[in-house]
Amino acid sequence: MRGVTPNDVAWESQQHSLFVDDEKSPIVAKPIVHSQLRIPQAFFSLAESVACFRDDRKWSLLYSVAWRLLFEDKALLSMVIDKQVSQLLAMQKTVSRDKHKMAAFVRFKSVNIDDAENDVPTTYEHYVAWFEPEHLIVREKSPFFRKRFSNMCWSILTPDLCAHWNRAELTFTTGIAKPPNIDDDLERLWLTYYENIFNPARLKVKAMQSEIPKKYWKNLPEAVLIKSLVSGSSKQSDAMLKAPSVPDKNYIMKSQFVKQQQEKLRGKRKEMN
Amino acid sequence: MMKLQQKLAILADAAKYDASCASSGSNNKNSKNGKGVGSTSSGMGICHSYTPDGRCISLLKILLTNFCIYECSYCINRASSPVERARFTVDEVVNLTIDFYKRNYIEGLFLSSGIIQSSDYTMEQMVSVARELRKTHDFRGYIHLKTIPDASPELLRMAGLYADRLSINVELPSKQSLALYAPEKNPATIKKSMSVLRDHIDESKESRKKSKIIATSATQPMKRHKKTSKFIYSPAGQSTQMIVGADQSSDAKILTLSNNLYNKYQMRRVYYSAFSPIPHSAQQLPAQSPPLIREHRLYQADWLLRFYGFGVNEITASSTVTNNEGQGGMLDLDIDPKLAWALRHLEFFPVNVNTATREMLLRVPGIGAIGANKIIKSRRFKRLRVSDIAKCGLSIKKIEPFIEAADANPACRLLEDENLKQYFIKKESAQMALF
Repeated sequence: MRGVTPNDVAWESQQHSLFVDDEKSPIVAKPIVHSQLRIPQAFFSLAESVACFRDDRKWSLLYSVAWRLLFEDKALLSMVIDKQVSQLLAMQKTVSRDKHKMAAFVRFKSVNIDDAENDVPTTYEHYVAWFEPEHLIVREKSPFFRKRFSNMCWSILTPDLCAHWNRAELTFTTGIAKPPNIDDDLERLWLTYYENIFNPARLKVKAMQSEIPKKYWKNLPEAVLIKSLVSGSSKQSDAMLKAPSVPDKNYIMKSQFVKQQQEKLRGKRKEMN
Repeated sequence: MMKLQQKLAILADAAKYDASCASSGSNNKNSKNGKGVGSTSSGMGICHSYTPDGRCISLLKILLTNFCIYECSYCINRASSPVERARFTVDEVVNLTIDFYKRNYIEGLFLSSGIIQSSDYTMEQMVSVARELRKTHDFRGYIHLKTIPDASPELLRMAGLYADRLSINVELPSKQSLALYAPEKNPATIKKSMSVLRDHIDESKESRKKSKIIATSATQPMKRHKKTSKFIYSPAGQSTQMIVGADQSSDAKILTLSNNLYNKYQMRRVYYSAFSPIPHSAQQLPAQSPPLIREHRLYQADWLLRFYGFGVNEITASSTVTNNEGQGGMLDLDIDPKLAWALRHLEFFPVNVNTATREMLLRVPGIGAIGANKIIKSRRFKRLRVSDIAKCGLSIKKIEPFIEAADANPACRLLEDENLKQYFIKKESAQMALF
């Protein structure tokens, strides 16, 4: 390895990550931890997440940092202002953000599927999601969904890789190009919720966009409402601010009654004090 | 009968004035060995969506009912309000939670309620929802119950056995304001219930610690002691909320109370909710846009209290800022409270990034906990120059005037500038455009 300096190597991506053992692949990743290679464990966890980064620059960068850890400085990873280390850390951060967004923005739709294996015709619910991650995170993030939804059958379809869980086994198939066409009635309730939990008096569109960048909108059912909620909001809150606070006779009477009760309570409280 | 969709519209609308939606900091659980769905973690929560008000949707935040026998002036659901009313059944809330959860819309449920019949009756209903979710459906997602302060101790105890988090709102920062605007609420009861929750939470923590010690230290198998009294009670602790801007309380008053709540009841969070105009509001309340910037400054100050080692006095005591009515003890709206402290204490600066302690670094405007750690890590390798600070991922423009590094730092001269505050206001206005 000493003879092969980082500048001598050109890297090309395999379909699968180097760090995932895949028997069908001609290159089988060997366990890298070797007693004679004094590369700190922290490097491997860093490398595992950087391997999800979509850009192939990652391989030469990882090799270069590994080389420097061996032959220059074994504490290099703490040198967060080193150019290469900080690049790796930035990649790790991007990947981890993307994974977090996947946990947040995957939206399942329920599909009824006929169970053909049963003699008596039965149907079961299968939950299907379409998601377009920015990085190659499907394999890494799937265990999160397995643990959370272990008693549901689900599939997460993406252009890179599709993950499937049948309540027993997590399997992967190749990615697909287009989202499936599924309707789920329950989405109507979700949209109702989204619309009503929004407070028009607190409009902060930029704050929202920094959390849900527009690239995610097309796969979020609730995003169709954003435009109309934003444009309707100033009208709604103006109306609230200007509305006369006395609508009708009944209301006045009720209000007076309640006020009297309040006064009584206040009197009691004073006595108590 | 009213349709489910219509109820949801009414009871979500009624819940939107509660600021909290957090799903973080619970215990680690998942549905691997269970029958239902759900998982929570001790780490970060997940925000599944954001509404155009910039607020996150993490939980299904709804009221069980918005019928209410109380008359709190600031509340849209008060008895005299002409708002449309609805009431969910226990099953409706349970099913809605699970249906939303299975589609990955939410982390769980935040359930609150108007008071119907009596406090105990209402609390009983809320506890039923949580119990159904946990016991019948083996739901392992997040449950936050807004606790009714004068519910019976037995109900308070049960609530925490099902919920990840409990909260009791203090609502208004002073006894006088509470008497004026929420006559049925009794500050003494609120405090008492908070300390009941704290006791349960502490006991639960203690019980888990003990059983851990037993589990790790026991070399011989335990026979009789197998069932230690280990129990989980509201693992994400308790939180509370204050409404800001409905009454005349100053920021100093608010932060003093927060500090108290953090110390006395081990609050995980105190939420500040800018008073938002409500339809058909009671007349004694201000009809104005919610004071969002003030709310933001309070959150920043709160952060300084909890994570930066600032005392309340340091943040507000020497603050001479007054609001429109000439009231003192207010935070500066133009600049953040840490910067405001720095400008009042120029003698503290410049701080030397190569020698300063972590505490000192944290006093520098623009250096947060992560930034301070990076600086400390990096300076083991070399003496840091000004340009190295930028490599730590920090905004150099804000920090520059306050630090000393290995090379010359001409920006330090800004400290002698009389218009220093103006310099920062210009810098900050871009960020404030978010509001």
